[in-house]
Amino acid sequence: MTPAPRDTRRLVPAYLATSGRARPSRNTLDRLSVLHGATRGPVSGVSPQEARLLELLRPGALSLAEAAAHLRLPVSVVKVLVAELVDAGHLQVRAPIPDAELPERQILEKVLDGLRTLKSS
Amino acid sequence: MTEIPVVLTVLLSVGTAAALVLGLALARSHQKTKRSRQRTTALEAELRTAAHHHAALTTRVQATEAEVRHLAGARVPDLAASLAHSHVPVRGPLDPAIAGSALEEAFNSVLAQVDDAVVKERVRVDAAAQAAMRGASTTIQALLYQLQSLLQTMQEKHDDPFIAEDLLAADFLNEQALRRVQSTAVVCGAWPGLTRENSHLADIVVGAMSRLTGYERVQVTNQLRDPVGVVARAVEPVAVVLTELIANALHYSHPELPVAVTLQQGNKGASVIIDDAGVGMHTEELQQAARLMAGADTLLLTELGDPPRTGFAVVGQLVRQYGFTTYVEASPYGGVRAIVHIPGDPLLTLLDEAEQPMSAMAPLPAASGSHRPPLPGRASTQHPPVSQDLRARQDLPGTADARAGDPFAEPSDAGAEADDTELPRRRRRRSQNAPERDPAAAGHPQQPYDATGPYDAAAPYDAVGPHATAAEGASASPEESAQRWAAFQQGTASGRAAAEAEAPSESGATDPSGPPSPADPRSAEGNTRA
Repeated sequence: MTPAPRDTRRLVPAYLATSGRARPSRNTLDRLSVLHGATRGPVSGVSPQEARLLELLRPGALSLAEAAAHLRLPVSVVKVLVAELVDAGHLQVRAPIPDAELPERQILEKVLDGLRTLKSS
Repeated sequence: MTEIPVVLTVLLSVGTAAALVLGLALARSHQKTKRSRQRTTALEAELRTAAHHHAALTTRVQATEAEVRHLAGARVPDLAASLAHSHVPVRGPLDPAIAGSALEEAFNSVLAQVDDAVVKERVRVDAAAQAAMRGASTTIQALLYQLQSLLQTMQEKHDDPFIAEDLLAADFLNEQALRRVQSTAVVCGAWPGLTRENSHLADIVVGAMSRLTGYERVQVTNQLRDPVGVVARAVEPVAVVLTELIANALHYSHPELPVAVTLQQGNKGASVIIDDAGVGMHTEELQQAARLMAGADTLLLTELGDPPRTGFAVVGQLVRQYGFTTYVEASPYGGVRAIVHIPGDPLLTLLDEAEQPMSAMAPLPAASGSHRPPLPGRASTQHPPVSQDLRARQDLPGTADARAGDPFAEPSDAGAEADDTELPRRRRRRSQNAPERDPAAAGHPQQPYDATGPYDAAAPYDAVGPHATAAEGASASPEESAQRWAAFQQGTASGRAAAEAEAPSESGATDPSGPPSPADPRSAEGNTRA
């Protein structure tokens, strides 16, 4: 599902999600931070947008930027939500995977070659 | 001696004659005197009457003069004042005895003409003022919308928390300015200035409250059973009306008291109920509000006070133009309760949450609570048939879907389709047994969508169903995982086989991996995530 096209005017503004706050309680969050829910099942006592975020993470982990895109909120606002949920213990954050640990290009190319061989056979 | 008697006789006769003549003359003069005396009496009486008459006339002229002076000095100013402030009484004539006279008629005609002239002139001046305001506010509104777009783009661009926070603050200020300008424009006879697409009612309520300072105090409870949306043309009017009513609730209640907003669904439409526990309204205020909200009279800016209190007037204008209704009454919480009722027939529609999700800030329906489906595009892999479910729905002709799921459709339809009197409910999810279905059957996207069949009859919607499955899937045993992947593989294989059988000539040219199988849950997800 692609988000609503840009030319439709938003009805609900982003500041409503955090009552206008955009400074998270922790500054370790990044666009690529990986989020996953710490609890399964419905969590009570959270705002609708926090509930929606937790629900979004129930099937599996997502990066913060992806979560923001799904919620159709700016990243800066989602960071505040995430920081609060982490403080409340509903959410866990993992640092983004550093570039150095990604598989090397040659290995990926070899895998691609192998796949092409399989396909043509 | 004879001569003497003769002389005597002569003398006597002469004397007699003279006496006779004198007697006659005397008698005549007597008569004359009598007559003249009579005339004098009559004249005297006439004179007296005339004097009386004169006195009466003088009094009357004086009274009339006083009456005219009273008209000019008191009654006309009274009338002018009463036209401006309806509670000012217009004084009557000084002498109530002139009632019914020509004089009173003349006076009334003077008053009527003054009244007419003043009213006409006031309407003309007011219309000019409204036109000027309308022109200015429409332009400002357009500019503020551009600013809104700009701020929104910047919010997505800038990650720095300090900049982002300032942008959010600027956005909020802009939103408040927009609301003021928009309500002024509407009072002056403009349209709300914006057409939106069909929107969820919960989104409209949340959007309306976001335009007000103190929105943190608004507590929204969503009791809708279906994803009720408002049709495009009425979205912004409903939002404006809700904004004004919530603004009243916030303004007239203590800054620490909550304002309760409830969304309810009825047989004939949906209602939004706004309760505050504030100072409340007098009976007269309620009557005035009801009069303004009926939207029947020509609206005059001069009647709204200084500064103009536009709230109810805005509501009245929009209610009249778009056909929903509002009521204001004393609230059981002690303050005011405002109810906006939106009739289902022309103004509501059902929205597919998969195609058009609610915003993250809109409260979820209280009844189904956390049991709503995951956001579209985040369908969990534990629900393979979900994409097929959506596809089946998209393949439907729109009318059948709308009628099956539309609680505002003809009552006979609803009664025929549902076993009990309860309105039909839209099911968004396959039930738990769905993954065990025959993969071949799942591979047919054209399978007719039965709106009520498998869910209502065979597998009643279990409140814990989808999430029980999700939780169970997350902690699946290796055997279960293997089984699931095998089914996945089988589905892919059958999909490829079908594609190759359909188009054997093209299979060489196209990608040998073939089109994604409908049974492949990744196909839908992968596309939408891209």
